Amino acid sequence: MNKPTIKKITDLSPHRLIAPGTPTCAGCGALAGVHQIYDILGEKSIFVNGAGCMTLLATYPFTPFKGSWLYTAMACASAGAQGVRDALDILMEKKRRQSDEAMQVVVLTGDGSASGMGLSATSAAMDRQLDFICICYDNEGYGNTGHQYSRSTPYGAKTATSTKGFHGVKKDLFAIWAAHKPTYVATVTAAFPLDLAKKIEKASKMKGPRMFIMLAPCPPGWHFDPPHAVNMGKLAVNTGIWPLKEYIDGKVVHTLIPKKRVPVEAYLKSQGRFAPLFLPGNEGQIQAIQAHIDDYWALVPPS
Amino acid sequence: MYRIRFHGRGGQGMKTASRILGTACFIEGYEVQDAPRYGAERRGAPMFAYVRVSHTTIYERGVVPVPDLVVVADASLMAIPAAGLLTGCTPQTILIMPPLYAETPPLPFPGVHLTMDMDKIRETQISPSHLSSLWAGAAARLCGIVTETSLLQAVEEELVLLGEEAVAKNRQSALFGWRLMEAHTGCVTEKREPSSKAPPPEWIEFPWDPVSMSAPAIRSPETSRGVITGLWRSVRPVIDDARCGKCWWNCSVHCPDSAITVNKEGAPVIDYAHCKGCLICVEECPRRAITVRPEERDPEKGDPP
Ligand SMILES: Cc1ncc(C[n+]2csc(CCOP(=O)(O)OP(=O)(O)O)c2C)c(N)n1
Ligand code: SF4
Ligand code: SF4
Ligand code: SF4
Ligand SMILES: [Mg+2]
Repeated sequence: MNKPTIKKITDLSPHRLIAPGTPTCAGCGALAGVHQIYDILGEKSIFVNGAGCMTLLATYPFTPFKGSWLYTAMACASAGAQGVRDALDILMEKKRRQSDEAMQVVVLTGDGSASGMGLSATSAAMDRQLDFICICYDNEGYGNTGHQYSRSTPYGAKTATSTKGFHGVKKDLFAIWAAHKPTYVATVTAAFPLDLAKKIEKASKMKGPRMFIMLAPCPPGWHFDPPHAVNMGKLAVNTGIWPLKEYIDGKVVHTLIPKKRVPVEAYLKSQGRFAPLFLPGNEGQIQAIQAHIDDYWALVPPS
Repeated sequence: MYRIRFHGRGGQGMKTASRILGTACFIEGYEVQDAPRYGAERRGAPMFAYVRVSHTTIYERGVVPVPDLVVVADASLMAIPAAGLLTGCTPQTILIMPPLYAETPPLPFPGVHLTMDMDKIRETQISPSHLSSLWAGAAARLCGIVTETSLLQAVEEELVLLGEEAVAKNRQSALFGWRLMEAHTGCVTEKREPSSKAPPPEWIEFPWDPVSMSAPAIRSPETSRGVITGLWRSVRPVIDDARCGKCWWNCSVHCPDSAITVNKEGAPVIDYAHCKGCLICVEECPRRAITVRPEERDPEKGDPP
């Protein structure tokens, strides 16, 4: 029963569970991922959504979901998930709901929230071994408020609050989460639907905290045209900038190791937000980014 | 008090236009309020911003229900009732916008309708990314209370973060809008009386559920289908069935908006009422079976009217 059912791309569902008509931008890489996830988790998922772009999905009186959705303040989606999980467990204990109706409680949180003010609530939820799935869609900035930088913005990216390029370091949320030793941590992105689907299906059959970080190419925030959104995700993976990996049983395993990594410049050049890196005199910065990626992959054992 | 509303789609710069106009009036010594309507506006989705300009302290708050001037950046918004372009217009209201689409029925607009000469703007090669300044310049001239110097200073103050080159281009664009409206200088009239009250919102009463029932079921699922995001589209992807290889995991799975359904035969079908026109499907189709056509609406094919 716990065998995976999704092995090849044609095993994906041809039917979309999330309804159209939502107000996300045309070409939104976060919504692309959320719909792929929902197709697998199914309509019995209950979403708990911290303030951010995805809270626009269910703006009263409209919802694209078949099931429930709870809006929480930006810092406390994972605390909200605890409340929902407890309520469901109590209902089942009192036999008001059958246990086969067990529902997945799914947190949707942006990177700004997950790597900033929401980190504490999520850390505490992992400490308590909360039985939930947590999805951080990483558009690398405060998208909903006009793309200011977050602690997940990559070095060099222009945002509304770093007009000359961000000079901080992208926080390694994967490492931070994995350090809590939760049941599962994985990175995904919608441009690789099979990798995403396998990981979500695997996690859906586990208990405890199951954590996802999903790269979410964002046309207005990253300054590229909407048709290229999927290509941005492919480039992120093929340059090695966005490693697809999972943490399970105390080990980190890479699920896709690019055979020959594309130079990072191809990714940086395709997005207007990295324009500051291409100003004369900044050549060294691109080399430094490449060196950083090379160093990362030098430590990854071949599969 | 002058009450001005700017309408556009997210990304067309109407929020910036409202800020430039507001700042220009502020430099002239007026009390000013300017604010975008924060809702779910996104690139391509209808949005508006409003400005109040007064000699004395402004006590009004919230959106402008009865405008003296309405500036519209995009004629296609006329087809979207929810955009509320003509809400609260009176015989004294001035409307400035690009030419209406040929098939548009006469506007139920009681005021003075001015048309922006978009061809002239195209000839000057002003880039679409500098049009917010153009609309601000035009609005400033129509109100007639801002000098050229204050307008240019406002452009500078609002856009300084974009760098010198962008500011220079925006100043040119603002001046161009300003000059185009010369014949109508000061045609917007100021209203002294408080603007009339907005109609009350249409509340829907929800009865309380007993606690045992109220979670986790929801009353009406998938209501977002009622939102016609197909109106955001400026071009239309069209599938050529003869070339299509029925590999829906490329187009349907990658469409962010669930706007490509898969029929019983395994063939993809685009839902034009909701397709936002991002064209990801066009780029992802391995057989190049999806072409891009100019937008035409055919209600018989299920398109939004
Ligand atoms: C405590 C608090 N501060 C600020 C905000 C305003 N706010 C709403 S969404 C948002 C951006 C969140 O960024 P992220 O978590 O990355 O999500 P995204 O918008 O990118 O989807 C901000 C700052 C808020 N809702 N709550
Ligand atoms: S700003 Fe980016 S993440 Fe937010 S809705 Fe738009 S495309 Fe999606
Ligand atoms: S990707 Fe192209 S060929 Fe494949 S199903 Fe879609 S339209 Fe047809
Ligand atoms: S253009 Fe975008 S929204 Fe429309 S069907 Fe293609 S992928 Fe979906
Ligand atoms: Mg974000």
